[in-house]
Amino acid sequence: MITLSIDGRELKAEKGQTILQVASENGIDIPTLCYHEALEPYGACRLCVVEIFKGGRSRVVASCLYPVEEGLEVKTSSPRVLDNRKMILELLLARCCKNKVIQELAAQMGIEQPSFKPEYLEDNDCILCGLCVRACEQVVGVSAISLVNRGITKEVAPPFFEAATACIGCGSCYYVCPTGAIKMEDKGDTRIIHNWKVEFKLKKCKVCGNYWAPEKQLDYIRDKLHLPEEFFDVCPDCK
Amino acid sequence: MESLAIYAPRLVTTKEYLASGHRACSGCGEVLAVRLTCKALGRNVIIVNATGCMEIVSSQLPYTSWEVPWIHTLFENTAAVASGIEAGIKVLSRKGGYSQKTKVVAMAGDGGTMDIGLQALSGALERGHNFIYICYDNEAYMNTGIQRSSATPFGASTTTSPAGKISIGQTSWKKNMPAIAAAHDIPYVATACTSYPFDLMNKVKKAMKVEGPAYIHVLSVCPTGWRLPSDLTIKAGRLAVETGVFPLYEIEAGKYTLNFDFPQLRPVEDYLKLQGRFRHLSKEVVAQIQERVKAEYAKLKRKVIQGS
Repeated sequence: MITLSIDGRELKAEKGQTILQVASENGIDIPTLCYHEALEPYGACRLCVVEIFKGGRSRVVASCLYPVEEGLEVKTSSPRVLDNRKMILELLLARCCKNKVIQELAAQMGIEQPSFKPEYLEDNDCILCGLCVRACEQVVGVSAISLVNRGITKEVAPPFFEAATACIGCGSCYYVCPTGAIKMEDKGDTRIIHNWKVEFKLKKCKVCGNYWAPEKQLDYIRDKLHLPEEFFDVCPDCK
Repeated sequence: MESLAIYAPRLVTTKEYLASGHRACSGCGEVLAVRLTCKALGRNVIIVNATGCMEIVSSQLPYTSWEVPWIHTLFENTAAVASGIEAGIKVLSRKGGYSQKTKVVAMAGDGGTMDIGLQALSGALERGHNFIYICYDNEAYMNTGIQRSSATPFGASTTTSPAGKISIGQTSWKKNMPAIAAAHDIPYVATACTSYPFDLMNKVKKAMKVEGPAYIHVLSVCPTGWRLPSDLTIKAGRLAVETGVFPLYEIEAGKYTLNFDFPQLRPVEDYLKLQGRFRHLSKEVVAQIQERVKAEYAKLKRKVIQGS
């Protein structure tokens, strides 16, 4: 057990936990966009910055990556943290000037208008948090998409910017995306994920006739678990 | 949203705010609904819980299942207590003693919402408090022994509307509570069901973002009261939606959206024949229910197409 203080509260934590985990367990709100408990922390969005005090000095660190230490003193909303967070949001807002989620977060911090010149504003939805890439790799295990290029040309894309051949259409990327940048829709018997330029035929249930999952995903699961050929012919409701 | 099978569920939080070891019946759909709701709500909430199954099973002295701030209220004043807490938070944050954005969530059963707590709820909705009201509808007073409520569907046999030689059980139709809530012109009203967990959590998250009152009506299958084998809870909920008995829709600022629209509705018989509370129904009564369900569904679809 480790004892640390967050915002003046004495808290107990397990060794190896991060500041963000301990804070959220104790009801202390730290905003974040790129953290997800099922995935390895990545520290991309930097919104979760906090100020730590140790040995007479203070530093600003990303709380999703910083492991707790004995006697650590953390402040989640000191003026220095708020200044940092505000700047990060200004930059995110400049990149995604029309995204609802970012606009709301910015409004909470008191930013109504981006302070950059209009010609520098971009209308992008993706904040490059890498959640979709990590989910595809760590949860689904197919790595159909990845982060390509560096610096200002960095983006999430399938290999060679062509249709994602490894994608199984499970929709995890769409589910996990914090800003709604991934566009997926089910139209009749097809599922389209626009970002990865892929289309999937949906499986029709033999009993009720409803479409319930992409055929490619079911094939993938069947091969992985060595299930019989007709295992997915009937949807879970009719089984 | 709902066809995100297998992989997306692994991304749902593993943190539980309603601890196991509570005294709910096996196969309880309501406790599952509360568990999923709590997962979607997160840690920063205050839950106001009316008397009812969920209060009984989760808080037997000296134990509690709740890992979030929780207060037990009477049947009739859940919404009133919730609005009081919300007002208290408002005052505290104005005076500078409290800086967190804590959401107040009221939870009650169908009796606590549609019968006994209706006037407090109506008042709170009308005053526009910033809170979420969730009704877990298991279609009767289950914890006291299956007495009928105004949520009990037509033809259901309960201990106070027993079926027999001269009665078919409940002789009135189920009260349309979401419509009553929507009539208050509140920003968000939705219906949900535990058999569609993603949809349920999504709606709770949406309600969290709303400034002002939000009302969610959750159909919670009750194997004990519905005379249903406890392994069929999820199936019964799915059938309720697929037959059109309990369509899943949301009303955002007056605009209707149907979340699940099937190419063809199943016959209501599929849903009724699962449950012992409907087993006495004759073909004519089933046809009557089918007609009513069809008419109600068509009415809802018209609203969806018109947009309001």
